[in-house]
Amino acid sequence: MKNPNITDRKYLALSVFISPAVVLVILFYFVPVILTLLIAFTDMDRSLQWNFIGFDNFAKLFGLKGKDPFIGKIIKNTLIYIAGALPLTIGGGLLLSILSMKIDRNAGVFFRAIFFIPRAVPPVVWGFLWVWAFEGTRYGLFNAIRTALGLPVVHWFIKYPMLIVIMANGFLGISLAMLVFSSAIASIPRDLTRAAEIDGATDWQITRYVIIPMLKWPILTMTAWHLMSFVNSYVYIMLITNGGPYYATEVWSLYAYHAAFNRYRYGYGASLITVLVLVNIALLFIVLKAFGVRKMLSRGKIEV
Amino acid sequence: MRRWIPYILLVLIALPFLVMYVGFFMQAFGEGMHLGIIPEKFGFSNFRFLWQPIAWGLGKTTIWVTLLNTLIFACVSGAIVTVVCMLAGYALSRIEFKGRDFFMILQLFLHAVPGHILLIAIFFLLFYLKLLHRIPGVALARASLEIPLGVWIAKGFFDSIPWDIERSAMIDGCTRLQVWYKIFLPLVKPGIAAVFIWGFLFAWHDFIYVYTLLPGTVKLLSTLIQSLIATEVIDYGYLAALSVFYMVPPLVLFVYLQKALLKVPIFGGKGL
Repeated sequence: MKNPNITDRKYLALSVFISPAVVLVILFYFVPVILTLLIAFTDMDRSLQWNFIGFDNFAKLFGLKGKDPFIGKIIKNTLIYIAGALPLTIGGGLLLSILSMKIDRNAGVFFRAIFFIPRAVPPVVWGFLWVWAFEGTRYGLFNAIRTALGLPVVHWFIKYPMLIVIMANGFLGISLAMLVFSSAIASIPRDLTRAAEIDGATDWQITRYVIIPMLKWPILTMTAWHLMSFVNSYVYIMLITNGGPYYATEVWSLYAYHAAFNRYRYGYGASLITVLVLVNIALLFIVLKAFGVRKMLSRGKIEV
Repeated sequence: MRRWIPYILLVLIALPFLVMYVGFFMQAFGEGMHLGIIPEKFGFSNFRFLWQPIAWGLGKTTIWVTLLNTLIFACVSGAIVTVVCMLAGYALSRIEFKGRDFFMILQLFLHAVPGHILLIAIFFLLFYLKLLHRIPGVALARASLEIPLGVWIAKGFFDSIPWDIERSAMIDGCTRLQVWYKIFLPLVKPGIAAVFIWGFLFAWHDFIYVYTLLPGTVKLLSTLIQSLIATEVIDYGYLAALSVFYMVPPLVLFVYLQKALLKVPIFGGKGL
């Protein structure tokens, strides 16, 4: 039998505690999604007039009515970018964690610290490092080294722009994946690898048949996590190449940003974002199906 | 021989990055560079922004105005994250209510969806709330991005505190808010420090919100560095020095807060 008075007081206290978080989440996550959806159906430009035009933006996007000449290239870029950065992140993270867990403990910590730096420095500094390292004149790091060796300078950003942004983002992903995989490897009981060693397994066999199967869940979570992150990422690309040279590294989300804030076509930008939000929701559902998220939740220990 | 293979591989992969990091510091503290990373002599001439105005575009600014703007932005954002998450974390840890699990899962998913893709709508939202182009308004928007995971972090800290203290306080007649304020906040000081550092650091490092939602005339350290990268002729030494300057305050804050707040009061009471 519940005392209504106590229940009332509980919900009063609850609302005091939780409402700031709820308000902020609604205001800055849900309202923006709805606002994006609304703006996507207007031809909003810098005059900020709400002028609804139905599905025209989407028709243009899918080439049904008027054609966006860049959209094909943007989709291709986005797919190449994800197809490059995701395997680099997971494969690189696995390689670095396995190698660094295999060597002396302190040396391992040292190497992991080196590869964690990308995530520890601010985005503009990480961007600056790449811009400087691959600068096309002899003032850039790698060209300075080439000049010292008597080699001609290479215009990295003109020749390999996509490769550079994939590496810059991939190593950001690696720093997180490496940490997650390392702690997962650390929790594998020593008995398993010992037993395999005694049975005469080689290092490669231990890695392939003992360690990697034990990392199934961390690999899956990191893959899902970074897939989401690469689908939406544009900030680092913006800092390093800003989509150039001539749309060579312009991915979907960056294209949306440029449409809105460089060309002031907010309506069109919002329709691009709407598609992206739908992709995100679809990915979330796939992830939700694939994982038992409920397992991750721990209940409160006691009810006062 | 075989046990050296991992070392060799790791060194090979790390080498370009080590060269990059060492070169970065050489750029900042060196003068007259050879081969990109070997300076003629060391000095602080690249840090001339400390006593000279900084030119960007057609305008000028000083490092101290920029630093103050960045500090205000990061502190406001950190404070909002701390207050909101500490309140919500308590409720999620201690009060059983309908929809709690849903709320927790929702936060995880919101964290997985990067908020920066919603910038167009947030631009309009702030515009209609009359908060656009204002540091506190943008700080509020930035803070909300860190709420989802901040709530989880805060809940973890509350979860680790035994409930006996709280129950005895309530039996003595404390209300929930009093319990939170008088009993819990002193006990979760490490949690407060962690959540504040969390909010502060992400705001301090933020680029895209500041760049998009603040006018070009209000520079923060991140947008200042970006605008200097985006110019035609880049002075790499100067920018490296500016980047070093940009990265120092979070370290100072971290060391300071660790000393000040990681002391948990030790109770002499019964059963503790």
